[in-house]
Amino acid sequence: MKQIIHLDINGEAHDIAVEPYHTLLQVLRDELGLIGAKKGCDTGGCGCCTVLVNGKAVYSCMVFAMTAQGKAITTVEGLADGATLDPVQQAFIEAGAVQCGYCTCGMIMSAKAYLSSNGSHLPGDLEMRQAIAGNLCRCTGYQKIVDAIRLAASRRVETLAKG
Amino acid sequence: MPEMNIVGKSVLRPDAFDKVTGGKGFPVNVRLPGMLHGKLLRSPYPHARILRVDTSKAERLPGVKAVLTPSEAPKNKFHPVFFSPSVAASMVHDMLILSDRVRFAGEPVAAVAAITPEIAEEALELIHVDYERLPAVFDPEAAMKPGAPQIHEHAPNNIAMHPVFAFGDLEKGFEEADYVFENTYQTQRVHTCYMEPRVCVVDSDARGNLTVWSSTQHLFGLREKLASALGIPVSKVKVVRPPYIGGGFGGKLDISFLEPISALLSLKTHRPVRIEHTRYEDFITTARHPVKVFLKTGVKKDGTFTARYAKSILDTGAHATHGAVVLMVHGMYGFLLPYRCPNSKWEGYTVYTNNMIGGGFRGYGAPQAAFAVESQIDEICDQLHLDPIEFRLKNAHGEGQQHPFDPGFKLDTYRFADCLKQGAAQIGWSNRHSKGSGNGTKKRGIGLACQPLWVSGCVGFPDIYEHSGAILKLNVDGAVDLSMATIDIGCGQTTVLSQIVAEELGVPLEAVRMTYADTETVPFDAPTHASRVTYSAGNAAKAAAGQEKKRVLEIASSMLKTTPDNLETGDGRVYVKGAPDKGLSIADVVKQAESPYVRMVPDGMQRSSLQEKGTVMGVASLAPASNPSPATAEFVEVEVDTETGEVKVLRVVYAHDIGKVINPAGAEGQVEGGFQQGMGYALMENLVFDQESGACLAGDFLSYKMPTAMEMPPEIKSVFIESHEPTGPFGAKSLSEPCAIVPAPAIANAIYNAIGVRIRELPITPEKILAALGKL
Repeated sequence: MKQIIHLDINGEAHDIAVEPYHTLLQVLRDELGLIGAKKGCDTGGCGCCTVLVNGKAVYSCMVFAMTAQGKAITTVEGLADGATLDPVQQAFIEAGAVQCGYCTCGMIMSAKAYLSSNGSHLPGDLEMRQAIAGNLCRCTGYQKIVDAIRLAASRRVETLAKG
Repeated sequence: MPEMNIVGKSVLRPDAFDKVTGGKGFPVNVRLPGMLHGKLLRSPYPHARILRVDTSKAERLPGVKAVLTPSEAPKNKFHPVFFSPSVAASMVHDMLILSDRVRFAGEPVAAVAAITPEIAEEALELIHVDYERLPAVFDPEAAMKPGAPQIHEHAPNNIAMHPVFAFGDLEKGFEEADYVFENTYQTQRVHTCYMEPRVCVVDSDARGNLTVWSSTQHLFGLREKLASALGIPVSKVKVVRPPYIGGGFGGKLDISFLEPISALLSLKTHRPVRIEHTRYEDFITTARHPVKVFLKTGVKKDGTFTARYAKSILDTGAHATHGAVVLMVHGMYGFLLPYRCPNSKWEGYTVYTNNMIGGGFRGYGAPQAAFAVESQIDEICDQLHLDPIEFRLKNAHGEGQQHPFDPGFKLDTYRFADCLKQGAAQIGWSNRHSKGSGNGTKKRGIGLACQPLWVSGCVGFPDIYEHSGAILKLNVDGAVDLSMATIDIGCGQTTVLSQIVAEELGVPLEAVRMTYADTETVPFDAPTHASRVTYSAGNAAKAAAGQEKKRVLEIASSMLKTTPDNLETGDGRVYVKGAPDKGLSIADVVKQAESPYVRMVPDGMQRSSLQEKGTVMGVASLAPASNPSPATAEFVEVEVDTETGEVKVLRVVYAHDIGKVINPAGAEGQVEGGFQQGMGYALMENLVFDQESGACLAGDFLSYKMPTAMEMPPEIKSVFIESHEPTGPFGAKSLSEPCAIVPAPAIANAIYNAIGVRIRELPITPEKILAALGKL
């Protein structure tokens, strides 16, 4: 039986009819057309479906949509301001971190969650790798993804230093 | 060479903006009005005859629109591999869309189309199948023995193919040898792990015309093989090119069951039908074949090869598909060609078993060969106290020599020696310790492996398509539409082809956009495979751009009252050679070409030249001139924990000659990803199956272990030794595969250097290391 639920996604309120077994990923992709979150495995193993729930990176395939009520959900579509990209998105382009791109949005969300909670500290290699350890990529060997996170982090630190 | 503005620069990928903001272009996003969802019922048994399929309950389930059984599927046998003609005699035609006999656990038995995926799934459970179980065999050597279960009637002893190549006098060669080495190497089954699942949407009309959207590596191959499986003319199938797909690595180089079944369900329901694989289905659909390689090698004291013999046994699973060609590439490019030896023989067996079907995977037979060949060279050098670099150089082909594969080609550019020398300098090869000499429980070692001869495309290889095509169209605002059948699987094909066009035409990179294409609107292109796109498709794109430029110069010369040979293009303008200010923009040239012949002006009517009129286009369809080989050497340093058996890769250096590097950052990215795949192959990945039931035990990413960012080394360094390949676009060759081929032997050799123990079976797990050290 479908039920109407209320979801707060990218600062916008949505009323959606969902089945109890629908995952947040299914609702984002199939009901709302927010296709940035990708289905790579549907079993919590690849990270392509990563979104932010209350600022934390979660696998949206592992969350029932109903349980996401009352929480702030951010998808990759909520990052850019029109054609102005979020600094993490921009860094992914500039560092050459995008190849096939299927993992990219999930990677960006994990990087975003990490950088947002990281304050003004310039992260070490291990920390950055830990931040994306739950996201698989088969194209890049992760090197340029780590470069992108480093680039975004250094810009963030610079901006914070300028006040 | 004139100075280049766009080629050779690390440009930003034109597709990256779209991909960081959501990635609308993936085939997995395709949705059509009225679309149904298909699901496949798969056999739980590895070998069985299907006696009866009762679909009556499933058909009665509300929301189910069609159920498909073996009795309704076409009965013509086909081969599903994209790059070979449907009729190719070298391919084994042993596939049916749905058969009354299943040969691996997971082979489809029936299919359902319903209004939701959940209903389709539920309907599968309502289909009743009576199976007659048959004895199964999972080990290829057991399958070759008399009395083994026969998997296909046409293949006695389950041998699908048994190619043999030989030259010289093997016996004499072994007599001349000072030493003879005999070793056996075994590789495992691994998955490509493309992140976007295999997915397709097939729509049909009342006359049986099909339109297909799919996550595929080959537009025209999908058209041809789908038509062949369905027994319909190719012109009944239109395949739409996706802007990009979520990875392939060779794993999407064939039709599987989902495309023809979607087509049949669409024809039955007159609605579009979508089938998306679950990750488990992906894992049991395509994999790199396990190969057992026996090597017998004769060498002189100084390390010169006198005789080489190899026997390879490849487990192709339930159907031959890629297994026939993978074996040939494995034998020729993996074993016979990389090094010179006057007396050589290779024989291979493609063997049917009741395992899953193998597929294409970056390197296509070479990783299995390189693990054996490059490991054994290390063993020979170790025992004869020879330097592994000198040994390889002594036996390798040299620049300027004839290509050993085809007398029509020469190795015009082949900086193999430089790759070895520069790579060695970067890793500090001369400081390498003797084996097992480190102190403490954690020991370090350095290893090396090469892929001496590979391909930029497949010219000269039997039954493999190679030609490419491009259509270019200039717009009145100066934008260039580039239409090609070439699929961007993530390696940056769109970027590189756009760079080549922009450079040749003399426009900024941003002016070029890769645009819509389908099998009815653009010329043929061979698949995105075999490290071929930059070279082969790049040549076609360059030729089309050259033709378009010629037309721009003709029109501009008429407008500027000069001759075309007096003009040049650059940065979106046409100008008099040596005088960039005397000219006009390419957009103005196109406006003139596209404007009416007669214009109304205040003084009356103004006529222009008829010769200036017509859309400015460039079209090319051509086969590349050669098969120029990239050269690759890789050096790695590892640390082996002798207490836990764990291996950590500390440093990686690659040296490549890929001709002119079109996009350096893109090339580095390719190499870094290649290492990850090779390192997974070397140390951890293994698609394991239960040897009783034939069921996959590693069908998700929680049990199939591929490297995460945590396991990867802190840096993978790429050295590019640029040559100028005369037959390549702007001197380029290709790159993709060798960097994924060499890591396994390089790591195995480094482990040997660290702890003095040789592991000849992949993956090199902690258990194997501890066992070899006598600690288990």
